[in-house]
Amino acid sequence: MSKPPHGSCGEVGLFVTCLVDLMRPSIAFAALKLIEAAGYTPVVPDTQTCCGQPGHNAGDARSARALAQRLIAEFERFPCIVAPSGSCAGMIRTHYPHLFDDDDAWRIRAEALAAKTFELTQFLADVAGVTEVPGDFAGTVAYHDSCAGLRELGVKRQPRALLDRMPGVEQRPLSECEECCGFGGLFSVKYPDISGAIAQRKCDNIRASGAGTVALGDLGCMMNIEGRLRRIGDEGTQVIHIAELLAGRLDPD
Amino acid sequence: MEIRSMHFVSRVRQRLDDTELQRNLQRTRGRNAAARLASLSSLDDFDAVRARATDIRASVLRDLDVWLERFEAEATRRGATVLWARDGDEACRLVIDIARRHDVKTVVKAKSMVSEEAGLNAALEAAGIRPVETDLGEYILQINDNEPPSHIIMPVIHKSKEQVSELFARVHGTAAKTDIVELTREAREKLRPEFLGAEMGISGGNFLIAETGSVAIVTNEGNGRMCTTMPRVHVALTGIEKVIPTLDDLATLLRILPRSATGQAISNYVSLLTGPKHEGDADGPEHMYFVLVDGGRADLIGGDFEAMLRCIRCGACMNHCPVYQTIGGHSYGWVYPGPMGSVLTPLYQGLEKAKDLPQAATLCNQCGVVCPVSIPLPDLMRKLRQKQVEAGLRPWSERLSMRLWAWVAQRPALYARGVRLAVRYLRWLADGRDRIQAMGVAPGWTAERDFPAPAVQSFRDQYAARQRRAGR
Amino acid sequence: MSSARDDILGRLRQRIGREPVGTPAARERVEQVISASQAGPRPSYDGDLAARFIERAKALISTVDDCAAPADVPARCASWLASQGLGRQVVVSPALAGLDWAASGLDVRIGAAAGDDPVGITGCFRAIAETGTLMLCSGAQSPAVNSLLPETHIAVVPREHIVADMEAAFAVARDTLDPWPRAVNFVSGPSRTADIEQTIVLGAHGPYRVHLLIVG
Repeated sequence: MSKPPHGSCGEVGLFVTCLVDLMRPSIAFAALKLIEAAGYTPVVPDTQTCCGQPGHNAGDARSARALAQRLIAEFERFPCIVAPSGSCAGMIRTHYPHLFDDDDAWRIRAEALAAKTFELTQFLADVAGVTEVPGDFAGTVAYHDSCAGLRELGVKRQPRALLDRMPGVEQRPLSECEECCGFGGLFSVKYPDISGAIAQRKCDNIRASGAGTVALGDLGCMMNIEGRLRRIGDEGTQVIHIAELLAGRLDPD
Repeated sequence: MEIRSMHFVSRVRQRLDDTELQRNLQRTRGRNAAARLASLSSLDDFDAVRARATDIRASVLRDLDVWLERFEAEATRRGATVLWARDGDEACRLVIDIARRHDVKTVVKAKSMVSEEAGLNAALEAAGIRPVETDLGEYILQINDNEPPSHIIMPVIHKSKEQVSELFARVHGTAAKTDIVELTREAREKLRPEFLGAEMGISGGNFLIAETGSVAIVTNEGNGRMCTTMPRVHVALTGIEKVIPTLDDLATLLRILPRSATGQAISNYVSLLTGPKHEGDADGPEHMYFVLVDGGRADLIGGDFEAMLRCIRCGACMNHCPVYQTIGGHSYGWVYPGPMGSVLTPLYQGLEKAKDLPQAATLCNQCGVVCPVSIPLPDLMRKLRQKQVEAGLRPWSERLSMRLWAWVAQRPALYARGVRLAVRYLRWLADGRDRIQAMGVAPGWTAERDFPAPAVQSFRDQYAARQRRAGR
Repeated sequence: MSSARDDILGRLRQRIGREPVGTPAARERVEQVISASQAGPRPSYDGDLAARFIERAKALISTVDDCAAPADVPARCASWLASQGLGRQVVVSPALAGLDWAASGLDVRIGAAAGDDPVGITGCFRAIAETGTLMLCSGAQSPAVNSLLPETHIAVVPREHIVADMEAAFAVARDTLDPWPRAVNFVSGPSRTADIEQTIVLGAHGPYRVHLLIVG
């Protein structure tokens, strides 16, 4: 497939996610670069904040609904919405409609948004049909399937297929790659010892894979895994968001 | 059974520190999950069977009152006596009454989770009736001072053969054996006379079949057959939600229950028991009773948690749960562990007695994916969290921070300022390093792992600057 | 005080939101579901049912042998028992009393097994190819204990009794069994347990061995 002309495929609303905004902006810049490279025009609504997942998972339905309504209003004008997070995209795609089970008007809007919202690699592989990626990473990579991306959105083959497009990447199988890393949002701070024990098992599997780098699609899981690796003295294993890996070097600011 | 779920956090800590338990949990970890996956290939279309199974269970619940009446009429017509119990205590009283009526001294029991709910063994003992658990795992627990099970189908998954060996030697007064075959034979020889001598057998019920008024009992060991064949009296003790319409439905559910539980295409024994022995029969009980227990089930009908009543007790959710497999079943503190227990325990025992259970889950949805009757377990846990918030059972600080977060997140300018502040604060904590190792606002995080230092500027600020530079 | 039954059913009706007048409709619906019982999705199998049954039964650690005619059954039981060193003492279900056991050299008792009978010989109502499972119905002629108490169970399986699946077996049972048996036991190989360290051990409480003799 030849590369589509710049921006010819239409606009994509990028939902940066609150965590990427705060902690690791390079993931969002990488996502912008990838969306552009795929021939789309990324647009970043500057009033965006949080998708409401923390409230939804904490049982604060009112907060979740309020933030969902904001996000729907902000993003529904785009033909396509992309988030560099399986968890936040999953929130919009699978949970938003149910937040409005007793509110037909909002449910219809939520469903419409859900239908056109994608996790980044899902968008690149399934919607944009990307066959070339700009990244030039060289090394061994194991991919960890974050739970929401995998089980709410079916993200499994897409990141691996995209990594296959990078000649320098040698993919290594990761044992128990579909097992949760123990993050679970606030779970990680409410039940640190359980969370830490699960993360430890994930780290053991990552180290056993022999890969120098573990890639994944969710910053929360990434911080959990990287934080645990560093805490146990592993300074060598690189933990990288799939967007950063696929995008390669970013333009200097 | 007495609930201990309120001590969840301290029980978890003990179990994480118990190296022997951790070794035992790791030994079998993942085995049932792998066996389940392998066994699905012998069904042409697992998803279709699952959808059908889900529909069977869901449709019964919509008319549960009528299905129960239909079951009762049919069972009665075939000579069984159907009794009803509002709760576990009433169930125990009924069983004890039956035992007294038939002059029963010893009861052999096949596995029944409802009897664990009701605390039946303790009640029987208090009434001077000797209960003998006959499922190998349940027997091991009983002779170990009535230890509770840690898994609904593999009750001693937390034990090693060495621990069983030591227990048998101590309780049976025999030489210690380390071979599992020999240990199993020793239990067989201990239990055989009990089967032959007991006056009454108590079983659970995997399904109640309305078409024939029968109870279906699924076991591998054959103890279910023994308990329902040898004694004079058989009592089947089950929850009211166990009814299914027909034998064909049983066939569908049996394609999915053993596969989900242990990865078997079929369990060794499936017994369909209908009424007492017939005239001329050489074997079988003279009296058959059903005790149908509510115990909180009826209250779930028509509400947010009705789907939970579809549960067929296969244990797949716990076999696939990262939390269960890390902390073991006893941490949960009541009859049912793992994801299904985290939903059922607060519903049956009270939200306030099991505050941690719906919270102590990563919501990874492995349980929801493998559930053979499509129970959306993570969604039910979220709903329970919502109920906790509504009932004021969450700490005020958590509720306030959620509200505050949502309030700020609805005000982008304020939110942007908050993000800037947070970046500055976190970078101050990092103090020039790339990570934070102790963080007062989230001590739980840094107790177990490092927290990265954020970038110098948030995305929104960097992006805005970039746009300005580009003149956009 | 209302009975537990009325209490529970009353609460269910309230939760379901059933108006008293709606109940007959629900009853009718229930009867309809039962009388027009629908089978769920069943795995299809094109090959020979007996071959499938034998393959599945072996996978369940049953052993399988065949014999040409019912008259051969006693001798085949005797030779198999001898080959396994399992002795000569057997208890035979009354349903099989018509066979010529005397000539087999076995020490035969016709009737129901007791706790110390080493070998039980039974017929079978149907055999299920899908899973390699025996369907045994209790009755005066077929005591349930014969497939349960002895350490060895031999089941005589007429080839024409092998059906595709449980639904097919239930269909035959509905048509032919009256009264409905007290116990319908589906037996899939020897008794087993995996309670200790998930290690499979045969002969937990029931037979250590299940031997199937396919007849015809």
